Amino acid sequence: MLKDLYKYRELLKTSVKKEIRGKYKGSFLGVLWSFVNPLLTVLVYAIVFPFVLKNTQPHYVTFLIIGILPWTWFTTSISGGTACIVNNGGIIKKVYFPREILPISIVTSGLINYLISCIIIIIFVLFSGIGLSKYILFLPIILIIQFVLQLGLLFISSSIDVYIRDAEYIINFFVNMLFYATPILYSSDLFPKKFSWILNLNPFTSIINGYRAIFYYKTLPNLENLFFVFLFSVIVLLIGYAVFKKLEKGFAEEV
Amino acid sequence: MKDNSYAIKIVNMSKNFKLYYDKPNTLKERLVFWNRKRPDDREVLKNINLEIKKGETVALIGINGSGKSTLLKLMTKIIYPTSGKIYVHGKLTSLLELGAGFHPDFTGRENIYFNAAVFGLTKKEIDKRLNDIIKFSELGEFIDSPVRTYSSGMYMRLAFSVAINVDADILLIDEILAVGDQHFQEKCYAKLHELKKKGKTIVIVSHSLDSVKDLCDRAIWIYEGKIREDGNVNKVVDDYLKECA
Repeated sequence: MLKDLYKYRELLKTSVKKEIRGKYKGSFLGVLWSFVNPLLTVLVYAIVFPFVLKNTQPHYVTFLIIGILPWTWFTTSISGGTACIVNNGGIIKKVYFPREILPISIVTSGLINYLISCIIIIIFVLFSGIGLSKYILFLPIILIIQFVLQLGLLFISSSIDVYIRDAEYIINFFVNMLFYATPILYSSDLFPKKFSWILNLNPFTSIINGYRAIFYYKTLPNLENLFFVFLFSVIVLLIGYAVFKKLEKGFAEEV
Repeated sequence: MKDNSYAIKIVNMSKNFKLYYDKPNTLKERLVFWNRKRPDDREVLKNINLEIKKGETVALIGINGSGKSTLLKLMTKIIYPTSGKIYVHGKLTSLLELGAGFHPDFTGRENIYFNAAVFGLTKKEIDKRLNDIIKFSELGEFIDSPVRTYSSGMYMRLAFSVAINVDADILLIDEILAVGDQHFQEKCYAKLHELKKKGKTIVIVSHSLDSVKDLCDRAIWIYEGKIREDGNVNKVVDDYLKECA
C-alpha cells in the first residue's frame, strides 16, 4: 500500500492543493474563508455562552478558539469528507489510482488548514496575556493522534457512503451530538459528574484537553490518556483501512 | 519460480454485474424494499483464460455489449472480477475515456499536471515530458487557455497526448482513436507503431478493423462474454467479418 501511495505522491499533492484552494473557489475571500468561518463560529459562542453559563473561563474567547479550531478540522474531515468517494465518482469510473488518496487528501488538507490556523491560536494566546510555554512541543503528538483517528473514521464513513447514501446525514447528526459531548464550549470539570463517563469514553475529550493543556493551561498534557487514545486511533485506522479495502472493489460500479 | 514473460494473465475469470430494476441507494429504500426482487446477476464475462505476452499488440474485437470494455476495465483494476484472478506485470496505463481528471477551469498546461498525476507520474517526470506532450497535442498557444474553451477535438488531442507520453509498459486503449482529424489520427497510429517497436504491450478495443489489422499481431474475438476466437489478427478479423455479414 505504501509503495503504491509513494508512486502516486504527486496525485496526493495535487489533490490536497485542489482541496485547499478549490473549496472556496469563486468567493471573494477565497481560502481566507477557511479561517474566517471558524472564527465567526467562535464569535457566536463567545457572545452567547457567557449569558448561559454564569462562570465561564477567564480568557473565554481564547479558550474557545483552542477548542473550536481542531474541531473544525474534525468536522471538515468527517462531515465534509464522507462524500469524497461519491463526489469523485466520475474519475473513479475512468482511471485507476489508489482510492485511499481521496480520504487521505481530505484529512491532510484539514491538517494544513489547522496548522495555519495555529498561528491564530498563538496570536490569541499571546495577546490575551496567557503566553507560550515549552509544552507547545507536544503539539505534533496530539496532531498525529487526531490525524490517525480521523483518517480511520473517514475510511469507514466514506466507503460506506458509496453504498448507503444516508451515511452522510447520519454522520452529520452524530458529529453534532459529539460536539456537545466534547469539552469545547466548557471545560471538562464543568460537566455533570453523573455523566462524566460520556466524556471519558469520547476520544476527542483527551485530544481537546491535550490542546488546552499545552496552549491554555501551559501544563503537561495527560500523557496516559493520550496514549490510550493513540492506541484506540491506531485500531480505528486499521479497521477503517480494512473496511475501505474491502468495499473499494465495488466503488466504480456503485457510485 | 516467477513467470515474468507475460504482461497480463487472466485465470478463470468471471465478472457479474448486478442488474437493478430500481436500485436502493438510501437506507429507507433498503429497509422498506428489503424483500423486493433481488437484483439479477448478469454474467458479462464467463470464465476467461488469457495470457498476453510482453510486447504483444492485441486487438479485442466483437459487437457492442460483448464485454470488451469490461475486460479492459478489469485489467486496469477499475472494477474487480467476481471470481478468478488477473495478474499484471509492469506499469499499466489505460486510455478508457480521455480527459479523466481534467478540470475545466484550469489551463491545458495545469491539466497536463493533474492528468499525468492521475497516471502516477511525479512532478519531475511530468516536467521532463511537458514539451513532448505540448508538441504532440499541437495546441500551440492554446495550451495556456482554460480547457473549457477547447473544442472537443482539442480536448481529445490534449488528453491523448498526455496518456501516450506516460511511458507505461502496457497500454490499454478503448475505442478512442476516432478522435481528432485525419491528420491527428494518423499521428496517433504512427505513435502506437513506434511504441510497439519499443516493445510495449498494447491492448486495443476497436471497430476500425483495417487499422487494427495494420497495427496488431493478434486479435481476440469476444462474443457474449466468452472468447470465441483467439489468434492471428487477419484470420480472426476475417472470420468476424464473415459472421457479421
